[in-house]
Amino acid sequence: MAIQARDRIRARANGEYTTVRILLAHPMHTGRGMDENEQLVPAEYIQDIRCWRNKQEMLSVKCGTATARNPYFAFQLKGGEPGDIITVRWVDNLGAKGTVETTVT
Amino acid sequence: MTQGHNKQRRKVVKQVISATTLALVASSGLLLPQRLLAHWPREAFNAKTVEDALLALVGEAEQLDDDSIRFTVGSPPSYAVNGASVPVELETSLENIERVIILVEKNPQPLAMLIEPTEHMVMPFKSMIKIAEDSDVMAVVRANGQLYTTSRSVRIDVGGCA
Repeated sequence: MAIQARDRIRARANGEYTTVRILLAHPMHTGRGMDENEQLVPAEYIQDIRCWRNKQEMLSVKCGTATARNPYFAFQLKGGEPGDIITVRWVDNLGAKGTVETTVT
Repeated sequence: MTQGHNKQRRKVVKQVISATTLALVASSGLLLPQRLLAHWPREAFNAKTVEDALLALVGEAEQLDDDSIRFTVGSPPSYAVNGASVPVELETSLENIERVIILVEKNPQPLAMLIEPTEHMVMPFKSMIKIAEDSDVMAVVRANGQLYTTSRSVRIDVGGCA
């Protein structure tokens, strides 16, 4: 299914911590919902999200069907300074992938 | 003359076709994501009860109730109008966190999220989950080889597991 919206990411360093906020554009169909014609919508949901800072892995989140539509995550990383590159990659159950990258400000 | 013969022939042709299709699908990489995602704990995510999900993830382990986890579900806490997107926030003073597991007791598949942080990550962790109906939401943190559990009950106006 075409995904119109864009994945978004923000990262901000305040000296001690880097705060990362991620908003992915994904319908997250559980496989139990109906569409307007009362047909089951096949399952389509993100299973694995990983986050790197300057090519070093920071975090991985595995999701089931219970993650909300357009998944949002916010967390902090120790240290970090403006100019670091934060990369997030996701894979869904159908094999679709996405990458989103930002520079820490 | 050849009614039976024809039927037999059709059956054979059909079988050959389906066998070829299967082989093609298998080799084309359509099944690849599943293999690549072997580390995605399928059994735990498909479990129908909290116990099964936890069993598949952490085995049988002693669980300690712990006050050092601050866990907020819903906004305002313990209440959400729309179950399709309920904010959760988790903060803890525990060190050396290996895994964080979020479970919604009454969801068809209770395991909502499995977070595997490295030592570079610090709490709080915020996200949004779906909750089907009024339910308890559990957070299980594995740190220093032990399990710390905390649970919040949350009231939902409109169920959101569709």
